Amino acid sequence: MLDLESLTPREALGRALSDLGDLRKDVVVLVADTGETTRARLFAERYPERFFNVGIAEQSLVGIAAGLALAGFMPYALTFATFMTRAWEQARNSVDRLGLPVRLVGTHAGFADAYDGPSHQALEDIALFRVLPSFTVLAPADSCEVYRAATASAAVKGPVYIRVGRDFHIPTTCGLYDRFEVGKAYVVLEGNDVAIFTTGITLPLAVEAAQVLRDRGISAAVVHFPTVKPLDYAAVEKYASATGAVLTVEEHMVYGGFGSAVAEHLAQTRPTKMAIMGLKSYGRTAKSPQELYQLFGLTPENIAARAEELVKLR
Amino acid sequence: MERGVLGLDELICKARRYVVLMAGYDPGIHLGSSLSVLEVVAALYGTGRLKFNVANGAHNRNYFVLSKGHAIHAVYALAAAMGYLTVDELRETGSVGSRLQNHPEVDTPFVDVPNSGSLGQGISLAVGLALGLRLRGEPGRVYLVTGDGELDEGQSWESFAVAAHYGLNNLVTIVDLNNVQLDGHSEEVLRKGDLAGRFRSLGFEVFEVDGHDVAAIISALEKAENSAKPAVVIARTVRGRGVPSIEDTAKQRLSRDEALSHVNNIC
Repeated sequence: MLDLESLTPREALGRALSDLGDLRKDVVVLVADTGETTRARLFAERYPERFFNVGIAEQSLVGIAAGLALAGFMPYALTFATFMTRAWEQARNSVDRLGLPVRLVGTHAGFADAYDGPSHQALEDIALFRVLPSFTVLAPADSCEVYRAATASAAVKGPVYIRVGRDFHIPTTCGLYDRFEVGKAYVVLEGNDVAIFTTGITLPLAVEAAQVLRDRGISAAVVHFPTVKPLDYAAVEKYASATGAVLTVEEHMVYGGFGSAVAEHLAQTRPTKMAIMGLKSYGRTAKSPQELYQLFGLTPENIAARAEELVKLR
Repeated sequence: MERGVLGLDELICKARRYVVLMAGYDPGIHLGSSLSVLEVVAALYGTGRLKFNVANGAHNRNYFVLSKGHAIHAVYALAAAMGYLTVDELRETGSVGSRLQNHPEVDTPFVDVPNSGSLGQGISLAVGLALGLRLRGEPGRVYLVTGDGELDEGQSWESFAVAAHYGLNNLVTIVDLNNVQLDGHSEEVLRKGDLAGRFRSLGFEVFEVDGHDVAAIISALEKAENSAKPAVVIARTVRGRGVPSIEDTAKQRLSRDEALSHVNNIC
């Protein structure tokens, strides 16, 4: 049996694609000189005839994927998340306007590529793909969820953006639920005083923060949203109502991302005290993603502190 | 079964009148570019290579990608000349309620690749489509029409390189080389270099023709279709062909009176 916990997020991605290749003959995979770095190689080894390398050319990558979709295929196009956003207008005009079943997979997202510095650290991709009406946006937390989200994406009708890291992850979701459903939030901890909403790799940080809060007598719910769009509005409303204070945490700019999606909805349905945690500037070269989480304040201690402030404001 | 060139000439003449007629009713259409590409479109649809009455999704057929989507009125005009659209419908082009939008759209008739229009993107779509048809083992070809101005886009060459690398000889590209783009003459806006040489160096077979000589275009298409390599037909054309006041200029607009008076003077 496949031990997903032992895989890195990108290895889980490559495995998911090659397994999807077994199940679906319409799945094709494209890369922009990123077959090795995204681990799409795992698909290429099994299905070389359904694998295309278009060179270092992201606009062409997305456009050719759209053409393959017009020919009846389900293309997965993989490159670094930062460089995928270079083809945003292609995603808009060639993919989204027609609602084509193209899956864009941005790897090395957030601070995952600490080593290469801010030019390689995508902190805007959720915002950019969320704004396109037909796109579904997935941001899994760990290798288990990467595998499940990539697999589940095959059943989505329109285009999908999948945000994946590189090697760092803290296994959290393997035993959390049995089936990944696109558009569903997963409750990790129940709580009454404050709700911490996460997407992507910030989930384990929030779980740790909730434990810190418990020691301070604050009961924090942790709800994980691997699907940013369509957002699980029912879960958002339920936990906003139950606690009266919502803190969102994402490895992404605070502008236009997951927190904004939650705020947009709550502002129009049940205004709730909120704080949005994330980044407000570009990253740095570092020896590890964890070092950057520390530097930019994405830590359990800071999450707990913001949650505590919110509870006082209720 | 191919139509005689004589029949095509009549169709082209009629279609040219219709393009000018539409410009009279909607000053928003890209008149000059639709007039330059007309013979190319006629060489494709008028010879049965492409059909106006084949449903999307039909297999084993040929596909058309008008990457210079702004010249879609050449397609509408030819469709009307061949009896697939009414003149009343042509007059409504560019209205919100009309399916004859000013760039290909989801509900545009006769266009199986309606997501072109943003320049350069149709080229990638055509390459993806050709790759997909080959993977499915379908015999259909992809006919891609681009402008010369849109070859400024880096994306164009990114995808032409893929076509050459994967040896897509089911892709037939036609460049409508009308030498004019939005800001003026193409060579003044940005030098294109040796266009044929650029294609050849990637591995394309190149055919150069007079893009207003429909017989020459058809003959070049036949050679392109039989090429072992991906092929490109460079069609030298005149922007605004048939309307002397705008020929070889970036001018797109005619007053309604001017347009309607021209309709009867063309060919």
